[in-house]
Amino acid sequence: MHGRVKVRTSEEEKARKEKERQEKLKIFKNVMQKIQFKRNEGELDQELLELTGNVLTSNPDIYTLWNIRREIIIIYKKDVKMKENMSKLYDSELQLTEYCLKINPKSYGSWHQREWVLTMRPDPDWKTELSLCNKYLKLDERNFHTWDYRRFVINQCQPALKEEFDFTTEKLFDNFSNYSAWHYRSKMLVKLYPDVEGGRPIEDSHHKHELKMVQSAAFTDPDDTSAWFYQRWLLGAVKNSVDLVVSSVTTSKSFLTFSQYVSKEFVKSKVQIFINKTLVTPDWSSCTGNHYDKLWLFKHNVSIEAGMDIKVEFDKENGQKQIVSCVPAETLTYVGKGNINFQKYYSEPVLKELKDQLESCRQLLAMEPDNKWTLLTTTIFLNCIDAKLYHNEVIDNLKTLQSIDKLRTGYYEDLKTRWCIENQLYRDYESNDLVYRVSFDDKITCLPHLQYYSHCEKVDLTNQNLTTKVLPSLILLQNCKVGDKGVRQARCECRSFVLCLHPYSRLPVFALYDTLCSLLICDLLTNFAFFTDFECDYDLVL
Amino acid sequence: MSFNVKDVILKEDRPKTLLLQKHSDYLATYGQNKDDYEFCMTEYLRMSGIYWSLTAMELMDQSSRMPKEEIIEFITSCQDKESGGISASIGHDPHMLYTLSAVQVLAMYDRLDAIDVDGVVRYILSLQQEDGSFFGDMWGEVDTRFSFCAVMALSLLHRLDAININKTVDFVLSCMNFDSGFGSKPGSESHAGLIYCCVGTLSICNRMDALRADELAWWLCERQLPSGGLNGRPEKLPDLCYSWWVMSSLSMLNRIHWVDKKSLEQFILACQDSETGGFSDRPGDIPDPFHTLFGLAGLSLLGDTSIKSVNPTYCMPQETIDKLKLQPQVLHI
Repeated sequence: MHGRVKVRTSEEEKARKEKERQEKLKIFKNVMQKIQFKRNEGELDQELLELTGNVLTSNPDIYTLWNIRREIIIIYKKDVKMKENMSKLYDSELQLTEYCLKINPKSYGSWHQREWVLTMRPDPDWKTELSLCNKYLKLDERNFHTWDYRRFVINQCQPALKEEFDFTTEKLFDNFSNYSAWHYRSKMLVKLYPDVEGGRPIEDSHHKHELKMVQSAAFTDPDDTSAWFYQRWLLGAVKNSVDLVVSSVTTSKSFLTFSQYVSKEFVKSKVQIFINKTLVTPDWSSCTGNHYDKLWLFKHNVSIEAGMDIKVEFDKENGQKQIVSCVPAETLTYVGKGNINFQKYYSEPVLKELKDQLESCRQLLAMEPDNKWTLLTTTIFLNCIDAKLYHNEVIDNLKTLQSIDKLRTGYYEDLKTRWCIENQLYRDYESNDLVYRVSFDDKITCLPHLQYYSHCEKVDLTNQNLTTKVLPSLILLQNCKVGDKGVRQARCECRSFVLCLHPYSRLPVFALYDTLCSLLICDLLTNFAFFTDFECDYDLVL
Repeated sequence: MSFNVKDVILKEDRPKTLLLQKHSDYLATYGQNKDDYEFCMTEYLRMSGIYWSLTAMELMDQSSRMPKEEIIEFITSCQDKESGGISASIGHDPHMLYTLSAVQVLAMYDRLDAIDVDGVVRYILSLQQEDGSFFGDMWGEVDTRFSFCAVMALSLLHRLDAININKTVDFVLSCMNFDSGFGSKPGSESHAGLIYCCVGTLSICNRMDALRADELAWWLCERQLPSGGLNGRPEKLPDLCYSWWVMSSLSMLNRIHWVDKKSLEQFILACQDSETGGFSDRPGDIPDPFHTLFGLAGLSLLGDTSIKSVNPTYCMPQETIDKLKLQPQVLHI
């Protein structure tokens, strides 16, 4: 029951209403019984059409009644005697749905019946249907049923895409707050103007044009959220490729990590590992057992010694072959670094547009320093234009956002962590150390990009604001080795384990994974206390 | 700037504590009077009504107040022998929505033997299309809700292998939008309820990796309005049921902390009817079993320990999911 306000009425009024309802109910039950009886008897006829039609006009959600009507229409369609009446029958069916939609414009059953009739009849009039959509969208510009129906109609009558694109422009100029129109526009945009050569989602000149349009919409009313979502999408619409980020070979296993989730087939077809110039043909496993993963590993039977020549070849999306040499980081741990890049890349004209818009945002912000959307957008612009250069300003902005948009502090905390880790990673990536330690003052709240640290032996996560939510992702730390003696012993007895807290049971669950993955989270095991939400009043048994 | 945020204002005299006993009474009496007008007029969704009430009662540990044997018998009689599907009520046609509700209810009662399980599997399988989508019934309506119904029902029956999982996932992914959310079919606008269905499908199929998690979760946390309540799409009013659709999705994404739990809790509590019991969509509206379940389930996700733990993928008690040894995926963070 949606949007029905409870009203106080007198006892008298209540009784009168109840009596009225009971009478209505009696009639309803009678008709429903009659309908069922006729259906069971196979009397699929004009009378049944009338009976079901009457009930549907006040209860369009009784799906079975629409089914009965369809059964009757199908029978009539096969009947040669009915041939001349069919067009009229279809028309009246459309009229019925239109009537029902007036009562309830969100009735799934009525909309579907309309679609069904139009696909059944040989002479559908798509123009009328399109004008019906226009009419209904005037009454409620956000009714997603009407938009869906419009897409169905468009799909049938196939007008030029540009016409629909222009329709969204028209709708948006009526009201920039029409999120449904922005949504529809996004679909048209990538179909009409894809960047075929450059591999970007949107062709440059249109990317720029859209940025301009959405900026003027957003500035018209900065408190209206619709345009900001569209803008955020446009900013993220850049080319995105999979990178091989770290390749590690230890005495017992080899593992590769990628910037995104990839499948076993991807790893098998794109990566080749050579140990002392011999090609290794491993059977890859993902660290979680999932079909798509960021870390893939195998147990090798080559004995790893000092001074070996270990190379990884990776076929990049652009057709080039990347050759990564794994160098000894510690005595018998070879590590090869691939690509690291968190900066988005735009074409020169788009970048220039972003810079202009950044300036406008800064001006708007000067007038209204506490406007959340302007500040957030300024921050996103800074990060998109040059994350390294503007890092400090970005982090300061996120801290301000936490105080002016209090409902979403958790989001800004995690975003701050992500961008700080990205900033730190550029330096860590240059280093040969096998250490992951947070090197900035702000405490981290999550573990983004953890696969970039999969080779680290020493992982220090103490004194951060982490919760037990992060525990399952620690499986990415495949080379973590620091711990006290007790834990090492535990490791010998049970070589491969991962500790996880089941996220939705209130007690921690310790699961043993019988796979190649040997994850050591010794520091964590001996010192759970640093998880801000961890309460444990029993001994850990491994 | 004349823009008004669409939202409600919580009144000072709103309910501020959880009225468990009242909710249990409300659901126990709901439907006892078989001539109640509302009850009769909602016959076409009875099976789901039973699921909402029973699950709410289970979460309150009060399910003994529901007529168990009567319910099981009713479900058995709603299964269509021929197609194997289950209908909303006697005299209605089988449909994916009610087939799922029936399976959920029987799973909670540990009485899946009360229906022809092979029949249900056959029915669901018959509704999968070449592109991986599912019809709601033989009449051809396509919706991501039905994809979710299919994988949820089959996984509860341990028969997920009966359908083409890869195609199921591909279809759901073809419904992803510019804002990283999902709609009811390819091209449809993002909507929190359908996001729950699509994320839930990926959670059951173990393919959460395919989501653009940060972007999606940001859109979801932006559903929270100053009243603390959540809407289902931008520039819409808050509605209690979105406490479930949004929060369950965020839970599967492991980012439930991106919304403000305290103010959401206040909003949910304000939607209680302190006279009759039950929850409504917004403070001051008429309560119903649907919103009663999603109010309680939302509070459970927020960590209210007077309610049993709810599983965010299945919207069923975690203990039922554990008993069935199901492990729907939750994204690593």
